[in-house]
Amino acid sequence: MIARVAWLLARPGTSGAAASLLPVTAFAIVTALLLVVLGGAQSFWTWSDDIGVTYQALAVIALVLLVVPLASLGGAAARLSARRRDDRLATLRLLGATPATVSALAVLESVVLAAAGAIAGVVLYFLLVPLVALIPFRGEPLGVDGVLLGLPALAAVFAGVVLLAAASAVLGLRQVVISPLGVRTKQDAPKLHWLRIVIGVAVIAIAFLMMSVLQVAGSMLVIFAMLGLAFGGTIAVLNLIGPWVIRLVAQSQARRAKTPARLLAARSVLESPKAAWRQVSGVAMTSFMAVFAGTGIALLGSFGEAGDVESMQLFDDIRTGILITVIGSFLMVASSVGVNQAAGILDRGELYRSLDMLGMPTPTMDSARRRAVMSPLRITAIGSAVTAAIVMLPLTGAAIIVAPLSLAVIAGVLAAGIGVVWLGLLATKPMLERAAAG
Amino acid sequence: MSSFVIEASGLSKSFGQTHALAGVDLQVRTGEAIAIMGASGSGKTTLLHCLAGITRPDAGTVDFQSGAGRVEVTSLSERERSRLRREAYGFVFQQGLLIPELTAVENVALALMLNGMPRARAEEYGRGWLAALGLAGMEDRRIGQLSGGQAQRVAIARAQVTGASVVFADEPTGALDSATSAEVMQALLDSTTGQGRTLVVVTHDADVAGRCSRIVDMRDGRIVGERVPGVAA
Ligand SMILES: Nc1ncnc2c1ncn2[C@@H]1O[C@H](COP(=O)(O)OP(=O)(O)OP(=O)(O)O)[C@@H](O)[C@H]1O
Ligand SMILES: [Mg+2]
Repeated sequence: MIARVAWLLARPGTSGAAASLLPVTAFAIVTALLLVVLGGAQSFWTWSDDIGVTYQALAVIALVLLVVPLASLGGAAARLSARRRDDRLATLRLLGATPATVSALAVLESVVLAAAGAIAGVVLYFLLVPLVALIPFRGEPLGVDGVLLGLPALAAVFAGVVLLAAASAVLGLRQVVISPLGVRTKQDAPKLHWLRIVIGVAVIAIAFLMMSVLQVAGSMLVIFAMLGLAFGGTIAVLNLIGPWVIRLVAQSQARRAKTPARLLAARSVLESPKAAWRQVSGVAMTSFMAVFAGTGIALLGSFGEAGDVESMQLFDDIRTGILITVIGSFLMVASSVGVNQAAGILDRGELYRSLDMLGMPTPTMDSARRRAVMSPLRITAIGSAVTAAIVMLPLTGAAIIVAPLSLAVIAGVLAAGIGVVWLGLLATKPMLERAAAG
Repeated sequence: MSSFVIEASGLSKSFGQTHALAGVDLQVRTGEAIAIMGASGSGKTTLLHCLAGITRPDAGTVDFQSGAGRVEVTSLSERERSRLRREAYGFVFQQGLLIPELTAVENVALALMLNGMPRARAEEYGRGWLAALGLAGMEDRRIGQLSGGQAQRVAIARAQVTGASVVFADEPTGALDSATSAEVMQALLDSTTGQGRTLVVVTHDADVAGRCSRIVDMRDGRIVGERVPGVAA
């Protein structure tokens, strides 16, 4: 029974191929990036000298920074594939499928899409290996042998991606079961407490202090621990305050909105500031890194003349590493915006169709949707960059933060981040047009 | 000048092998309330969508007469039809289909804002219509905080607020109980024919149809009969 109905579900639906292609693509990107990063990092573990340990520590930091956008992309992809069958859930129930069958099917479908994506991701990874092998670290290209992962690692990543999809599908399904009509039945806009801001400011102050006393710390280990705490804490604070600030801004935008698109955008952000934040929080992370990278690179540059060959090498490699991490997280942010948007459009298909009937031009709907992402994005990117600059201040001094090189790197990264999100929005425009046309 | 606000002739529309409309002629008089009835799948919604310029028929014409003159709707571009719907028509759907994140008054005002009216004035008009439909005090509620009947009245206010000359309603009471259904239908009639405007309503409900001035019956994509409520067919 399940197999037969699953086949029925697999046929292209009203939402078009994009709805299943997007999660597959997203899972493929997740898998490929994860494998590339793991492959690159793996080669660091072949070094056993003193400086090798520094490389390993930095690789761990990069991995940790990539985990957040990775998890959010994986979750978004799973949500989308879970939502894709919403429109057929009712039909299935009518056909006599029990809720348990329907749940099993939904999870099965997510798993199939994730597996397809993960396989594509492995293929993509193999295609990328020769390129990644060219990336120089410690003066030499990593080499194909260094980057190529063994079968156990490949299998583990594959299983991890598929499990993530299954878990998110189960979670997503619970929401659907609780509230079959989704947004339409939502009663109240969620409230966020002002206490968040107090905690946030306190943590940032502590991070600031920690960075100020960093120079007097005794050992390298303590310095690393304090750096980690300060950055981890600040990122946690951004997550705490981000939604709150987004809500405040959206409230004032909703009051002042003069056009339908602006009003719709502000209200849809208010509907769930947390979801709005989640969609762009990858960029927060990247803006944070951008300041880190921008000042770091300028700082390293100023050390550069004095340093020995080995440190010069390390500085070069840190630059390479930062670049890779930034590109990786942008790719994931762009995909997760695309996937989230696709899910949102599917969710509201009937509403978009009715707005089209009422004579709302599709560009108005598109502009509302774009604003609902871009406005939180601007707040997030700028807010995170400023926060990072404050925390970095004791370490680097104002002169380095406002140095032309730092500012150029920061601005470049922010612009690229906003650009990729824009691309994610653009990629889903045809879906919106199709939804509106019915 | 003819007293017909909409004149459709020879409408046909197929979806693949299905002939949803197979040659329909229909004339809608200014100020009347016309009910379209018929079995499920008989083409009621398709006819409504063709009359309202949402769907372009495969053949046939739809003339719309307004103060500004006469236009042939099917020959207009997608953009022009969208504008016509926004400015001259109002719509009420079975599920209301209001925008969930907007408040009641914003949902109504949006229709005016789309036509370029400043927001403050649009909301003022919106409040007026909501009050007229018995929703005073609920203007700032979100749609999820309204009952089905209340939401449907918000939809009626939205269809009316632009001064639409024709309101199209597709099973506007389909999701309501019979008492609420009667109230909503009364509100719909008061705000349309009661003001000299025209109402085209698709319904399965004989009570709803009974309140209209004319009923047309459809079967297999054709109009098979026409009657006046209370008079045997
Ligand atoms: N977009 C479409 N694609 C394919 N077939 C369609 C489409 N729209 C309508 N049809 C078909 O055209 C016929 C008439 O549909 P229509 O929606 O007009 O019926 P209806 O009288 O409104 O029915 P109901 O009372 O169930 O709403 C049906 O057989 C339907 O399946
Ligand atoms: Mg119908």
